[in-house]
Amino acid sequence: MAPTNLSHRQTHNLLLISKLLSLRDTASPFTLLLDSLEQPATPLIEEYIRRAKLSKVHVTLIAFETLKRPDSVDVLVPARRKSPQQIAKEVSAAYQVASSTSLLRRRLILIDSLNPLINSKTVDSQFNLPAFLSSFLIPTSPSSPKVETSLVATYHQDVSISSNQQLYAPSPLSLLSYLATTVIKLHSFSHILAQKAARDRSLAAPVFGLEEEQDGVLLGRLDKLVGNENAEGIVLEMEHRRKSGRGVLEWYILPPASRYPPNQTKEIVTLLDDHPLYCPPEEPDTGAGDEEPESTFNLRLTDRQRREREGVVLPYFDAQSGEGPGEGGRILYDMGEEDDFDEEEDEI
Amino acid sequence: MPTQPPLPPLLTPYVSSLPQSSLTLLSSVLGATGNWLVLRYLYAALSVSSTNTIFGADGIDNGKKRKVVLVSFLRSWEFWRSEAKRLGLDFTRLTDRGQFAFVDGLSELFHTPQAQTATPVAPSAPASRSILPRTALPVRGPPAPAPTPVASGGGLNRATTEAVPGPAKRLHLTGYGTAALDALEKDILDVVNQLKTTAARDDGGEAEVLLIVDQPDLLLAATGPSKGVGATEMGEWVMGLQQHSHATIVAVSADSPLIHNASEFTHHPATPLEKEHAAFAVGLAHRAQMVVQLRNLETGAARDVSGVLRASKGGAWSDDGSTDAEAKWEEKEVLYFVQRDGSVNVFGRGE
Repeated sequence: MAPTNLSHRQTHNLLLISKLLSLRDTASPFTLLLDSLEQPATPLIEEYIRRAKLSKVHVTLIAFETLKRPDSVDVLVPARRKSPQQIAKEVSAAYQVASSTSLLRRRLILIDSLNPLINSKTVDSQFNLPAFLSSFLIPTSPSSPKVETSLVATYHQDVSISSNQQLYAPSPLSLLSYLATTVIKLHSFSHILAQKAARDRSLAAPVFGLEEEQDGVLLGRLDKLVGNENAEGIVLEMEHRRKSGRGVLEWYILPPASRYPPNQTKEIVTLLDDHPLYCPPEEPDTGAGDEEPESTFNLRLTDRQRREREGVVLPYFDAQSGEGPGEGGRILYDMGEEDDFDEEEDEI
Repeated sequence: MPTQPPLPPLLTPYVSSLPQSSLTLLSSVLGATGNWLVLRYLYAALSVSSTNTIFGADGIDNGKKRKVVLVSFLRSWEFWRSEAKRLGLDFTRLTDRGQFAFVDGLSELFHTPQAQTATPVAPSAPASRSILPRTALPVRGPPAPAPTPVASGGGLNRATTEAVPGPAKRLHLTGYGTAALDALEKDILDVVNQLKTTAARDDGGEAEVLLIVDQPDLLLAATGPSKGVGATEMGEWVMGLQQHSHATIVAVSADSPLIHNASEFTHHPATPLEKEHAAFAVGLAHRAQMVVQLRNLETGAARDVSGVLRASKGGAWSDDGSTDAEAKWEEKEVLYFVQRDGSVNVFGRGE
């Protein structure tokens, strides 16, 4: 790829992820985070909350599996034993309270896990997931002031779907990824590195955790096995659908939260291709194309040596210039004084 | 082999200092059961000699009493009592002192006590004795705590805990769907709150209770989707219990058929139980701060190794940047060996 093209891609896609994570211009009304036990979405959600706080966005967390309200979340709506309608009502009520006291134009609604809702036995069969999700995005009444709402929902890919699915309906995951304006799939950086190392050697990529299908193994992640401090961080595989319908695919890396101060405003996400561990910088060129391997010995020839080497007449040239084909098989050998003459050998 | 300390040093950072309102998931397989590990958690919380390790992370003053409620669905009071005795924990005395309560989810889970509904005068204990003449009954000693006129759960169990140490409560599963689970939750929380209030009466401060739920997956297997109980409902049930205790430890099975048959990589249809169990166990792992997995040795059985223990960070673990040394722990994989006398040796590979 031409370097200009790459740098163009860098700037463009970095701007895009920064816009998405900071919820600017409601670039993506519905973002779907696909995580697994090998790389939970918790760090990314914390990053969303951190940026939302920096830009004074009202944050609501719909808690299907969170107990304690994280510090920077404005409202936590526990969803335990509640019908979807109740949840939707509480979420909109939460914002009305906040907006009456202060003027907040933007809001972020987080759903910590969609799986309990999808697998629930208590919601009736009339429950419509797309309608439920869009109810957060569509303003309740036309008269209410316009609020820029972004919805970020997590879906655990490794939690199996329960059996009460309708046979002819699409699977919840395909439905969700169809609805989403941005899909971010999370990977652990160390796993990506291990898979790349295997691919570079044309080996089958290793699998981790549940995919190992080993008895008793739920989680495969181990700090120690990674061993490399720099391999911390999470890899985001992003697919953003623009309004025009064109999709953008890019891989990013988000460093761990301990690497930067919480009030950092400069972009911290980088392209995966720019990471030194994923794409090691190429060795600087030492010369033109026909260089020789580096070593401590001097393998080069001086000009004089080269001239002399070219002047040597090799034995087969000598043989060709001789008395024709009949002489070709002769062995030319001059005996030195240190040679031991062996009669028997000579007879053969 | 030299005698092992009750709490292997390698294990100490994992069984102690559980953060506030956290969930710890213990997963085990048939060949590597987790009873010994549950006992180590109990020991870390209850033993007098261990200097307040389990609640240490939050900097609570050391005078605070540590209390444990153990809810067991697969094993009886007698089993836990005798196993704990080998570690030097006397459950009878701890129950007496109001530091420990056992909730029995095994012996009468599916036995609806007739006595309570029909004749409130007759206590339920003799009735159950005639039907289930096994497990815990002999140790409960003298029969029939004073016949309580209101034979509701709360009244009965208060009498039991105060009179005869034994299971504080026996769970009964009745009804359908979430209502049945809610009833169980209420029963367990009654016991938890009772422990809390006895502490408040004794020394003013309200104690914090560690809740250990042993193999609640039995409930899921025994009810299932046809009874309106699925992974979501079970998860919410655990969440309800979590809300009222300092920290919660849940032990579930993670045998291959229960976890992997439901995955998308297999091509045969999974049974409802396989799907629900996998969703329940994996869902809990997503919510847990720490997941401790026990499994067999991959290379086959060995005479001096019982299994492999792997402690990993669960889905809810987050690097909050705390430099608290006690709260820090590393993901680790070690081998363990349960000896004949119940003591456990924990060591790294090749040590």
